Parts: sequence; C-alpha cells; structure tokens
Amino acid sequence: MILFDDVSYSYSPGRYALEHVNLNIGEGELVAILGENGAGKTTLVKHINGLLKPQSGRVTVSNIDTKDSTVATLARKVGLVFQNPDHQLFAETVEKELAFALVNFGLPPDEVSRRVDWAMKEFELTQYRDRPPFMLSGGERKRLALASVLCYDPQILILDEPTTGQDSRQKIRLATLLKRLNSEGKTVLVVTHDMEFVADFIPRVVMLSKGKVIAEGSAEEILTNKELLMSASLLPPQLAELSWDLALQRPTIDLEQVVSAASKLVGGSPP
Amino acid sequence: MKVLYGFEYRRGVSVIHRIDPRSKMIYVILFTALTVYFVNPLVLLLVLSSSFPIVAISKIGRRWAQSIKGSLFFIAFIFIFNFIGIVWATGSVWDAVISGVSMSIRFIALISIFSVFFLTTSPEDLTQSMVQMRIPYDYALTFNMAMRFVPTLSREAQIIMDAQKSRGLEMEKGNLIQRIKNYIPVLIPLIISSFRRAELVADAMESRAFGASKKRTSLYVLAMRNRDVLFILISVISFLLLLSLKLVFGIP
Repeated sequence: MILFDDVSYSYSPGRYALEHVNLNIGEGELVAILGENGAGKTTLVKHINGLLKPQSGRVTVSNIDTKDSTVATLARKVGLVFQNPDHQLFAETVEKELAFALVNFGLPPDEVSRRVDWAMKEFELTQYRDRPPFMLSGGERKRLALASVLCYDPQILILDEPTTGQDSRQKIRLATLLKRLNSEGKTVLVVTHDMEFVADFIPRVVMLSKGKVIAEGSAEEILTNKELLMSASLLPPQLAELSWDLALQRPTIDLEQVVSAASKLVGGSPP
Repeated sequence: MKVLYGFEYRRGVSVIHRIDPRSKMIYVILFTALTVYFVNPLVLLLVLSSSFPIVAISKIGRRWAQSIKGSLFFIAFIFIFNFIGIVWATGSVWDAVISGVSMSIRFIALISIFSVFFLTTSPEDLTQSMVQMRIPYDYALTFNMAMRFVPTLSREAQIIMDAQKSRGLEMEKGNLIQRIKNYIPVLIPLIISSFRRAELVADAMESRAFGASKKRTSLYVLAMRNRDVLFILISVISFLLLLSLKLVFGIP
C-alpha cells in the first residue's frame, strides 16, 4: 500500500532529514511512527501525500508513484492531520470548516451535509455547529482538525501527534475510533511521542532516529528493548519498566501478563 | 516566500558585519533615494551594482541570491502590470518595455540594498543604533521584533499551506479572483496565530519584568570607527557621482 524505496530527502545540503529509508506498510495496518525530535517523522509522512517528493528513491501509494501525482489527488486517498490545529482552522463556523475538504473534492451537497453531521456527532462537536472554530478550547480544536480530515473518508489516515493536549477520556475515544476505522480496513499511521498510547493501542511500530529507520516490528518487541529506546531518546512505557524491575524473563507491555507475573513473585494466586 | 531568507541575519565576521548600523543606514538611504530618482534603466543597473561589492566582501552571496531569486515572481508581476499600463496609456510598446525594465531593475535594486543591510546587521545592533539615534526604546524594540518574526511567519505560512493542501486546496486553480480567494484559508490561520503569538510574547516579556526600570542603560555602546568613515565616504562619493549623471549630463 505505502512503499518507500531507498528514499532520501534533505532540506539543506549535507544534512539528511531522511536517509535511505526503506519501508513497506500494508493495507489495513495500524502503525505508530516513533522517534526523537527532529528524527524525520513529519518529513516521512509528508512524502506519503506528496507534499514532499523524494530527492532520490521512490515513494508509491497504492501503486501510484507520488512523483507522477499531485497533492490534491493524493489527498483524496491520504488524509493527513497536522499537529497544530491552529495551522488549518479558518472557516467562520465549525460546520463550514468540516465542509471545506468535502467541497474541495467536489462532493454533492447532500453528501457534504451528511458527512458533516456524521463528523460532528462522532467528535462531540454538534453543539458547536455555528460557533467559530477559534472560540473552541484547545482540545476541541484538535478534535475538529481531526474531524475535518476524517469526514472525507480517506483510505489512509495519518495523524501527527494526535494525543497532545487531550485528556485520558478523549485519548481512549481516539484509540477506539482508530481501532474501528482500522478494523473497517483503513490504513492508519500515528506519529507520536506518547509511548503509553502506543503501548496500549497500536500493534506495529516503526522507529526513526536521525533520518533513518532504526527498528521496525511489533510494539511488544520494540517497546521492551531498552537500548533501542535509549538510542532514540524515548521514554519506555511504564509496563516495560515494571517488567524490567521485576526482572521478568520476557519483558512485556501487556497488563495482564505483568500482573500475573508480579503476583507469582509475591506467591499469591493471580487475581 | 524564499525572498524572506534574504532578510534573516546570520552571524558573520566580515568587515561589513562589523560596520556600525548607522553607517550602513546612510548607504541604504542614499541609494534608495537614487532608485526613486532615476528612470534610466542603465543608471538603475549601476545603482543595483553598488550592492555587489558589499555582497562579495561580506560573503553573503548565497542568501542574497536566494532573496533575489525569490523576488523574481513579484518582478515578473510588476513588469507585466507596468507594461500593460503604459501600453494602455501611451500606445507605445517600446516605451512600455523600457518602463517595465526600469521598474523591474528598480525593484531588484531595492531588494538588494535592503537585503544587504539586514543580512549583515544583527537585530541587537540595529536596536542599539536606533536607541543611540534617540528613538525611544519601545519603538526600536517593536521594529526589531517585527523583523525578527518575519522568517518565523514565513515558515508558519509554509506549514499552513501544506495543511490546507492536504485538505484538497489547490492554490493554482481557477482564474485570478479564484486564485486570490484560495489564499483565504492560508491567511486567516496565519493572522490569528500571529495575534496569539503576539499576546504570548507580551506575557513572556512582562513576566520577565519588561519595563520595570524607567531608565535603561546599555551593556555595549556603538561607536563610529575609521572603517565607518571610509564606508560612509565611499557611499557618499559614489552617490554624488551617480547624481551628477543627471545634474551634469542630464541623463533622466
């Protein structure tokens, strides 16, 4: 579905933002992209909807070379939600904000209003329908930005730091939504620093550091690898730390397993 | 937006970097006046070339070239509008071409002169020189900060454009009016975030006790040196030479 073939990109000569990146993300996967600040995460995802074109190598999305396509065409397939909602909200009302992409893609009016209604309901924004987006709180703006992309139903969804500024309830809501979209066959990529979010909800991890893919695999395997996390300046999830402290033979990020291992250690029976 | 890179100060060690901002300001004022005074494209070319030795000595060639390259779009715009306007008014295509060319060179010369100034003058020195010219510190600082946030703004504009393109906005689509309308989704977030930032900066400054003492003193004081005298002398002499082209030889 998304294929990076030896992709390199640099903003200024001599310093690579991406260096010989090879990556294959299949249809219907749910993947987290992790890495320290400036690791190249955002540069990577900007290649998927054609905002950036590889300076060497090739990026293909559903067998289309991004070099042969435009952002407007790719955006129909690839929904990219930016980190800061204030960089995209501009309309007079929440309703118009949601309709913006739909109108750009030329959907018929009844379809537009149907999808706007869906998005407002899904993201608990219905009561703000006629409110200007700038009057919403930070968390609500974040949700609106997400809704304004999700409403046109892209096949591939990419979220850049979706959990910042969200409380636990909204995080769980987001995770549930991502899981559902994913089970409906959508490919979902989440760029994040939020290790707990990844540990709890996302099965596959791609780890970037200094423009290179340094690890790829299941979340369980990568988030319990101490050296790897250290080298990418990432905080391990609490369950992984607990497993190390308990000196478990197989460190894990699964709550049940840690609990049963811990209760075995203290000699009790698992609750 | 590349044109803005040509106005972002980078630390440098050349003699031009070390010249007092006030000396450089004299050059800027004199030669800006010349760009407005002359209409002959060849003379304007000379005015433009006055910035070349400064670029060479201060080794800012790459950034300077970026600002010139970035302004080509506006220059094409100016040329076309000027051309159409003159053809409309006088009906002479030759006049229109000459006028369009001198308008374009005038614009490049202005960009070049200002770019040279801002590329080699640190914002701190600029503020200090303004204060020493008895401009109230508040105004000097406001000006300095406005300059400081130009590159930040241009970077932010790029991010916003990317975000809106990702939502299917096609900037280059439609006729002229539609194209101008296409900028609304970029301009509104840009303006709003600038206001938000301005408030944040104001809060941050107040929390660090900005304005707490009525009388400010400076850690460094700028002083004119021999190199400043030399620089001003060269500027004034070449200014007078160029001016004589019109006053003595009557070239428009």
